[in-house]
Amino acid sequence: MEYKQKNADALVDMIDIHKYFGSVQVLRGIDFHVDRQEIVGLLGDNGAGKSTLIKVLTGFHTLTRGQIFFDGDAVRIDSPHDARELGIETVHQDLALVPLMSIARNFWLGQEPTYQVGPFSFLDKKLMASESIHALADVGIHIRDPEETVGTMSGGERQSIAIGRAVYFGKKLLILDEPTSALSVGETQKVLDYTIAAKEQGMSVIFITHNIRHVYEVADRFTIIERGHKLGDFYKRDVTENEVANMIVDGQIPERLRLYEEDAVGD
Amino acid sequence: MMQAYLENKNEGRNIGMLVTLLMFGFTVIGALVALMVLLWWMPLGDYENILLDDFNTYEYIVIVASVIYALCCARTTYGLLRREASSLRWSQWMFFITIMIGGAILLSVIIPVGLKFSLLLGQNIDLRAQINNEIGGIVPTVLSIGEGLISVSLLVLVLLALLALFVFLIPPLESLRQMDGVRLIVAPPRRLIQAILIVFALGIVCVLIAGLTAVPLHPGVTKIRDVEDHRLLAGLLFFLPALFGYLQVRQMREESDELRRAVALTPGKFIRSELAKSPSAGAIIGFVAIFLTFTMATDLFLEPSSIASYLSNVATKGVIAIGVTYLMISGEFDLSVGSVLGVAALSFMLFMTEGAPVLGVLEPIPAALLAIFVAMILGAVNGVLLITTRIPSFIVTLGTLLAYRAITLVAIAGGRILRYRDFHDEFPVFAISNIVFVALAVIGLALMAFTAYRVLPVLLRGASQAWSIRANNGDFGTSGAIIRFVAFVIVTLVFLAIIVWLIAVFGYHIGAGGGQLVEVGYFDLFNGRVSSIGSEGDFFHLQIPRDANVRLAILWWFIFVVIFHIILTSTSFGNSIFAAGGNEGAARAQGVNVDRVKVQNFVIVAGLTGIAAIYETARNPGVDPLKGQGWELEVIAMTVIGGALLTGGYGSVVGSLLGALIFGMLQTGLVLVGIESRLFSGTVGVIIIAAVVLNTFVRGAQRN
Repeated sequence: MEYKQKNADALVDMIDIHKYFGSVQVLRGIDFHVDRQEIVGLLGDNGAGKSTLIKVLTGFHTLTRGQIFFDGDAVRIDSPHDARELGIETVHQDLALVPLMSIARNFWLGQEPTYQVGPFSFLDKKLMASESIHALADVGIHIRDPEETVGTMSGGERQSIAIGRAVYFGKKLLILDEPTSALSVGETQKVLDYTIAAKEQGMSVIFITHNIRHVYEVADRFTIIERGHKLGDFYKRDVTENEVANMIVDGQIPERLRLYEEDAVGD
Repeated sequence: MMQAYLENKNEGRNIGMLVTLLMFGFTVIGALVALMVLLWWMPLGDYENILLDDFNTYEYIVIVASVIYALCCARTTYGLLRREASSLRWSQWMFFITIMIGGAILLSVIIPVGLKFSLLLGQNIDLRAQINNEIGGIVPTVLSIGEGLISVSLLVLVLLALLALFVFLIPPLESLRQMDGVRLIVAPPRRLIQAILIVFALGIVCVLIAGLTAVPLHPGVTKIRDVEDHRLLAGLLFFLPALFGYLQVRQMREESDELRRAVALTPGKFIRSELAKSPSAGAIIGFVAIFLTFTMATDLFLEPSSIASYLSNVATKGVIAIGVTYLMISGEFDLSVGSVLGVAALSFMLFMTEGAPVLGVLEPIPAALLAIFVAMILGAVNGVLLITTRIPSFIVTLGTLLAYRAITLVAIAGGRILRYRDFHDEFPVFAISNIVFVALAVIGLALMAFTAYRVLPVLLRGASQAWSIRANNGDFGTSGAIIRFVAFVIVTLVFLAIIVWLIAVFGYHIGAGGGQLVEVGYFDLFNGRVSSIGSEGDFFHLQIPRDANVRLAILWWFIFVVIFHIILTSTSFGNSIFAAGGNEGAARAQGVNVDRVKVQNFVIVAGLTGIAAIYETARNPGVDPLKGQGWELEVIAMTVIGGALLTGGYGSVVGSLLGALIFGMLQTGLVLVGIESRLFSGTVGVIIIAAVVLNTFVRGAQRN
């Protein structure tokens, strides 16, 4: 089956995504796109399928049917490695950093700078330490000591470092999977600041949450998912925070927005 | 009070002068010790068959150490007299070191007493008397008058010293009166009670020591160091005043910045934070404690043959422990190493005797390589089974532990032992031209020159930098810079010595002319006694006593430790090992191929096990079907003592080295002090738990 990209200019365009686990249909034909330098809030109640959708995009699951376009090209994403190659960085709630490793080592994990001595290559520890301090400072994160283990830091600091890492490595798309659900109010605010910083550096961001309050402030657009279907895309200028919250809970589009929704789909 | 002293106020004068005086006293003691050793008044170490004016290694060490100690004390005294703020830090360290010295001397008295006491308790008195009678000995049961006098006078001395000490510690009566005008007679201060208790305990110890020195153990069983109770006094002389001084200079309200900097990091805190940085803190503490205990308990422990014995015993297991550490850091577990060792040893022997399929009978080196390859295949099977089935590695390797054992059981039928000598008359030897030695010397020279070229300028630059900014580093900046210069000179001399030795080797073999052949046994090369390598007068012939069982595997082991330590800490592969065990999901998300890392680690473990199998076979060229049985748990114990977490993500190769050394020291040391070797596994069990508790404790301290 041939798919065509619907949104010509989008960074990510996922079309007619189906994902079945055996006989369980988790995603039933979802279209989802992210424009360039856009923060999209991916919303939905628990079990709506938003995590599955993202795992399809990041290569943890292979899709049953559908097509993903990235940067204008049809792509196959079969593994997290593929996603990373494309420039997709995911910050998971608990899978972001290795707690027993130092900040510098976490920062460079998987793409460590090395220097060669004959046939052997060794980690360039000085560069790792100094660069990680600078890179994180660029996003507004100030760390005390790059040799400190991540396990001693607070949840907010860890999320910040993961975000700073994604920004530094020039990723195109940053996916934040429930980044704020375990954080205090102050820490949440910091994470939101870094999200905006990432956008200003030219990245697009998918912000997954089931709590609209965490994302309403920074998101440009909301995509609401409801039992494997997409309920709709709404730009922030068109909806209020309360309307979005109600949609997540009820799974119903309010009368006022129906027309707008049909327009959006009709394009 | 010390602060007041340093600020030249009147109130701190007495304490300050006392601390200064103590420091001066230690200076004098340090100098005296050096002088006494130098003038043969105080012979140290094993003095049998040695002339009085000979110096042994112990004495050289003690002379140098006590001169340095006296110099440092003198500098501190000078600083205290001039009321320099940074002298506080120096006095903290000097008092701390003195406490350690005093404590060590005290322990060297108390540990033998404890051991002797426990051995006496464990003995059948009648048996002891019987044995003593057989060899004509007498068992004295009562103290002689002289010994009684010694113990009483010791008691009095200790009492006096303590009283003098606590007079300074008890607050003056005026301050009590000010605190509470009504109740002039207050309950005795807590310090007084403590003092009385300590005196009491020390008295009991003295009496015990005096008693136990008089009671000999029956000969032949133990060679415990004789209890020398005069050391008790020397130990107390160091320990108590230093403790008092340390308490005086440790606690203070820091008011000026200079003072705060001086006391920010007390020696205790410094050591704690340094230890917390290392994954193997528990192993380091355990190693030092066990080493010191055995050293003090028996003179035999520091004999070259004992050291060689415990190193040789654990070298092969230590090599496997390196691999198991890797695996454990990556979050997995290998129970099958014992069986893999059996299979590798069997294949090595089979290839050399009955011959490999297709290839026929092989020379030792191809056979060894092939055997290691076989082991690696078994490891790969472990790894692939793990990642394809996703069964926990405990189960997978439990299965292969049993399955691989079947290979040796089937191949060597009927409890036979496969012996090299059954097939060949002589052990395999090869002749190498001494050109090889020349080449080795040249390579060594190049390596040393390169290292010196990299290291020495850095040290020199650091020292001259410290010199140029000595004014900024406070009053002790000059001393610090001088210490750095001295360190630079020592390192330079070490490099020079090695280079001169290598040049001598080079010259010797060049002088002997090319083409001269040196015969080396293959098995000796793998794991021979070091003293069997090279011929007499040869530069490779090291001066090691022939009865000392120094095996070449020790050298290979240390080389492997260095290589694998560097791989673990300084390469991307090492980083991904930590990540795979620390947080598998995060590692995957960052593009680390976790499955591949795990399989690689299984192959590494198996490869190292194969190498260990070669050592074992070379040491004793015969393979029985149960070779290596039970090794897996010992190796895991070494790794766990070394600080690796069973849950993954944490550990170090150096830790596994220390864990193995602790294991070896216990094995040898328990026998040397005469404790039954049946207690060995019980002791190891306690040590494992203690080490892991220590590791957890230190990691907790790091977090706070």
